[in-house]
This record gives sequence, C-alpha cells and structure tokens, in this order.
Amino acid sequence: MKVYRASDRPAAPATASDLELLRQFEPVAYFTNGEPFFPTDVDHYVRDCSLWEHYPDEHEKLLVKQGELTLEKLVEPRPAAFGTVRFLRFIENLSLTESAQVLADQARLRARLRNNFHAGIGRLARGGFLPRLVDGLFSLSFLLRGRVSAATAAAAELDYYEMFKEEPKYVYYGRVARQNGWTILQYWFFFCFNNWRSGFHGVNNHESDWEMITIYLYEDGGQLIPEWVAYASHDFKGDDLRRRWDDHGELQINDECHPVIYAGAGSHASYFRPGEYQAEFNLPLPNWFSGLMRTWNKFWTETLGQPAGNPFRIPFVDFARGDGLRIGPGAPQSWSPALIDESTAWVSQYRGLWGLFARDPISGENAPAGPMYNRDGTPRSSWYDPLGFAGLDKVPPPPQALELLKSNCDKVIQRQEELEQLILEKAVELQSLGIEMKGMEGNPHLAKQHAALEKTISALGAEVKGLRRERSENTALLQGLAQQLERLNAGEPDDPRTHIRHLAEPDKPTLAFRFDRAAETWAAISLSLLLFAIAGLIFLAPHYVWAGLTIIFLLFLVAESILRAAFVQTIARITLILAMVAALILFFHFWKWIIVGALLLTGAFLMFQRLRELTG
Amino acid sequence: MARRKKNNRKKRPVAVTVIAAAIVVLFLIRLYQVFEPLIRQQVFENGIAGPLFDGWRLTDLGRALLSSVTYFVLSATGIAVLIGFLRLRRWSWVLLMSWTGISLAITLVNYFYAQRLLGAQRLLGSQPNYAVMASNVIIAFALNMTEVQRIFGIRRDESVPSL
Repeated sequence: MKVYRASDRPAAPATASDLELLRQFEPVAYFTNGEPFFPTDVDHYVRDCSLWEHYPDEHEKLLVKQGELTLEKLVEPRPAAFGTVRFLRFIENLSLTESAQVLADQARLRARLRNNFHAGIGRLARGGFLPRLVDGLFSLSFLLRGRVSAATAAAAELDYYEMFKEEPKYVYYGRVARQNGWTILQYWFFFCFNNWRSGFHGVNNHESDWEMITIYLYEDGGQLIPEWVAYASHDFKGDDLRRRWDDHGELQINDECHPVIYAGAGSHASYFRPGEYQAEFNLPLPNWFSGLMRTWNKFWTETLGQPAGNPFRIPFVDFARGDGLRIGPGAPQSWSPALIDESTAWVSQYRGLWGLFARDPISGENAPAGPMYNRDGTPRSSWYDPLGFAGLDKVPPPPQALELLKSNCDKVIQRQEELEQLILEKAVELQSLGIEMKGMEGNPHLAKQHAALEKTISALGAEVKGLRRERSENTALLQGLAQQLERLNAGEPDDPRTHIRHLAEPDKPTLAFRFDRAAETWAAISLSLLLFAIAGLIFLAPHYVWAGLTIIFLLFLVAESILRAAFVQTIARITLILAMVAALILFFHFWKWIIVGALLLTGAFLMFQRLRELTG
Repeated sequence: MARRKKNNRKKRPVAVTVIAAAIVVLFLIRLYQVFEPLIRQQVFENGIAGPLFDGWRLTDLGRALLSSVTYFVLSATGIAVLIGFLRLRRWSWVLLMSWTGISLAITLVNYFYAQRLLGAQRLLGSQPNYAVMASNVIIAFALNMTEVQRIFGIRRDESVPSL
C-alpha cells in the first residue's frame, strides 16, 4: 500500500507520554521588538491578584484580597446569583498621581531595556479618511464604555517585570486530547496583560490574555506524525486557521519539529508568517442601520459599478514582525511546560475572568476567561471540540482517508450497478405502458383508464429521469474519487491550501502611498485639523455652517485622495454622490415633467420599434 | 471581392456623444452668462463708463465684469475639454469629472443657500440654475459608465484604495 506520509516528516512513538509529545513538537515563538509581556505562569499571577464579584445591580465585592489569593482559593466553590461576574484584578485602581508615576516608570524601564517599538507607517495611514473619522468616534466611545487605561497597562508592565525577575521563566500549558483518530496537542499561553491599544495602536487593552495553538498528529505504524497546525487569530475561524505541515510557504518549521509562531505585538494573536497584518474591527451597528448599509452598498456596487467599501470597519495593524524575543527550541530562551487537562482544578473549576471586568458592553476591554470557558462561563469550543475549531472534524487522518476513499468508491460503484439495473427495468416498463396507452387512443370508452395511465406514465417518467440524473452525477463523482484515489496511491501531494477561504496575508512592504511621510503626517493630524476647521467655521461664519462643513469635508477627502494616489476615483465618487442629490432635487421640482417626458420617450421608442417590425 | 478594412481606432460609445452634447449645452448657457451681465450694465452701448471699485468693494459694474470674465474662462475651458473629450483623452475625463463635481457642489450650495446668503446670491444669481444642474447630472452618470471609463483608461479593474 502507498505511503501517504512524507518521508521528511518527524515522528514520535505512539507510546510516548503526553509531556514527551508536547516537548517534541513544542513551538518557537517570535515576538515583536517592544513587546513587554511574555507567556508566564498562572500561579504567580494569581498570587498577585485579588478576586472580585460584580453583581447585576452594578455593585462589586472583594472576595479575596491581593496577596492572599492562591490557585486553591481561586477554585473554592462560591455560590452566586444569576448575572454575577467573577473576576480577578491584577492592577488596583490608580490615582492621578500614581498614574503619572507608573507612566514615567514605564518610560524609564523601556529606555533601560531598550525595548522600544516604532510603528512605521501606522494603521491610520493604511486606512482611509472615513475609517479614520469613525476611528476617532470609536476612541471617544471609551469615555462611555469601560476601559483599561494606558496607566493600568504601564503598571501591569512594571509588575510583570518584577514577577519575571523573581521567577524568570516562559511557560506554556500543554494539553493532549485524542479524537476521531487524531492526537491533538494544544499549547496554551497565558499573558498578564494585552496592551494592544495603548502599546501598539490596536483595538483593546485588557488584563490577562489566553492564546493557543494546536498541532494535529495521526498514527501510522506505531508512530505519531504531524499533519496540521492551527493558530488562533483575530478574524479567522475554522478551516482558515490551519496549515498543513508540508506547506513550507505558509508554515515555518524549525529543526523539522517546531512550528514558528509570529506573535502580534500586544494582541499576542498568532501568525504563520512575519509581517504587519491588517485586522479589521467591525463597529457593532444597529440592525436597521446595517440593513440600510447593505441596500446602499448593493446600489453603489451593482448599479453604479463602484468598488465596495465599508467606512464602519476600522483597520488596525497587528505587528507580528518577529524581530524581538524568541522562545523555544533553538532560540535563546526555552519553555517551561506544564500539563493541563479537565482534572486541573484551575482549568475546569474557575469559570470567571482572568483579569479585570471593565464593564465594556462590547467586551473588547473585559479580560478573557480561562482555556475551558468563554467570558460568559459557557464551554469554549476550542477546548471541547479542538477538531471542529480548525475545521478538521470533516477530515480523516491520512491512513483512514485512503480506506474511507476506497469504501466511498465501492459504495458509489455498487449504487451505479443498482442504478443500471433499475433504469433498465423502469425504462422497459415505461415503454410497455406507452404502448398500452397508444392502444387506448381512439376509444372514447377508455377515457378514464387513459387518464389514469397517463398519470402513471408521467410519474414513472419522472422516476426514470431522476435515476438517470443520479447515475450521471455519480459518474462525475466517481471520476473525482478515482482521481483522488490515484493521487493518494501514487503519493502525489495535493495543494495544501485548497481548504483556505481567507488567507491571512501581511501588508506588502511598499504600500501604494504617493508620499509616505506626508501621508503619515496627514493621517496623524487630519482629524484634528478637521475639528479645528469646524470650530473656526462655527465661530467665524455661523450662517454658513452646513455649506462650509460640506466643502471642508470634500476638501479633506480630495487632499487624502491625492496622498493615497486615488484622486481620480475619489473625484468620481464625490461627483456621483452630488449627482444623486441633484437628481433627487430635480425630481422633487420637476417630477411631473420628468414622468411626462419618460412616457413620451417610451411611447415614441415603442412606436418606432413596432413600425420598424411592420415595415421591415 | 471588396474586403472591409479592420478599424483599429477606439469606437466612441454613445454616452460620449451624449456627454459632448451636454457640454455644448453647458457652453451655450455659459456663453449667455458671459454676455447677460454686460448687457444688463449696458457695457456694449456705453463702454466701461464708471468705476469698478468703491474702496475695497466691487461696484455693480465691477461685479458684472468679473462675472463675465469668469464665465468666459469657464466657456473657453469647456471648449478645450470638449476637444480632448472627443479625442478620448484621459485628462479630459478627469478634468470634466472634476469640473462637474465642482459645478454640482456650487449648484447645490446655490440651491440650498441662495435665499439666505447674500454673497452667494450675488455671485451665483438668485435662482438655482436647473438646466446646469440637469446637464451636470447627465454628465456625471454618463462619465461613470463602465464602457466610458474603460475607453478613457480610467477603469482597469484594479483594486482601488479605500477612503
């Protein structure tokens, strides 16, 4: 039988212990320069936290003070009312003076460690003017929503630094699961803080962060061989999360055994390739507004032929450059692994949040729950269904794939034989009934029987047609299955990316900006300039506010378009919108004339057509 | 047998002819706007008989002359654009679309504000010019047509950076 596994794949004995398996394939994590938080152990973190409860009436209660909390105390059973949120608190509330102090200390620490981050062409210049405007509103929304401040992030950074000095280690929590012929290695990473927003211009800040990658192995001849690797990442799910082990264009493997993770700065999302990724955040809009937007977009793209766009989608850059600290086999820093499973008390018995509950209604700033649970305490699908999480629930391990394929082929062949026989029988029966019906024609006394027979023939005809269609479809299916079988038998590798619908791709190094520096500066100041201009307009020319606003807005759009090398497209879009407004005005004033004109024109056209038909 | 020669020249879509006709209409309107203020001020009969400025402000005659000159420049530009447009030049599409946008913006400001803004009223006239508005609407929609954009090399179906 064909060997379906690549000879260059590493293998581990199927009898290896869970820890041995995890160690053999443990990943190498490449961080971005400027990243202050690295995978750490939960024990030390919890000892630095306090435990709280938030009740539906909005009041909060301290359950265990900072310095007294341990993992054992964390999982003690505590009955609570519906709607109660239990959470840890890593950083206590800071006064204004304390905030200023920690921010200054953070700057000093970074300077001392030379751990600074430079954004380059930031996300604002990559997005357009409209998303930037919406982004401004999004930033303002933090005044209303709960938020985890930059000072809290700075304090967390300082605390983590001290924690690390006491116990310098990089931890992953490994879990081994076995489902449907797959051996699944999950590597969970715990970070004290996600400072994506305050540190790297991203979407959110939150206390604590759980990230995970999974390696899927199959057994062949007593050996476990890696086939797929899945990384959890912002906008992707299911099939899009996984790469095949031999997809060297997408998946970097160090020393034949260790997949490389490029971790997003601050967000800690995992990427397969180094680079800067545009993550998009969709604003939560009311349903009626989304419906209106869909209708408008349809008209805009299908009727007017304009490119689709969504100004309510804010682009954020996730920097996964991989130019910072490296942890894992062959890297300067190594892992301290720890095994977890359902019997690990803090994994299964603590359903609360692992950091501050910031009361953020859209959850971006609330801390996540642990590996087994979602924020609302329900089971996390990546834990209970690790195959479905990466779309592998429908994919058999390669050795079974061959057997399943053969079995499928056999079933289809068998069905084809049945169909041949059935079609033959039914076709003869149909012909026989046809002859019988022919014999009834011209005999009025057989009208009833004729009508009944006609019905029977019609039903039988439809049945035969259905059978023939099934046979035809099966022939095509069989061809596909046979080709697949042939490929597997010949050991031909198929395309490792056919399952991917949306491929995460880093931005190209050279973006289509006309003036990089000018575009960046403009992106940074344009929104403020717009606000200054509006303020000036209200103060200096209060009677012209709406006209002035429109003109200022159009001028800003045009300036933006010149810098983004999109002048022609922008002018076309603006003119089109103005033309639509003007068309509505014209219709409002001259609707009677427009209708009369349209009727006359249509009448003349139809008359011309008919007369041409008549004379032609 | 006579063989039909292959015509390699770009065919002009009907929409281009429609746009050209609209430009001609606009040109005629603008031409009227060149002469109307001069006739109103009896410049052809009396010549420039009077001061153009009253201190820093324009007199009625000054305003009429400024208005005439402005519309004359616009008419001349219109002719240049028309020639470029009939020769299917990319720059003429860009210029015409930009001009249509500006013209529509002015017409709309005029429509919404003419009654309220004295300055706008003086500069643009007391009534919004619906003929100009309609011509501009036709030009804007015609210029946006895929076949027109293709023939002028505007649309190449490449991705466009969003604003």
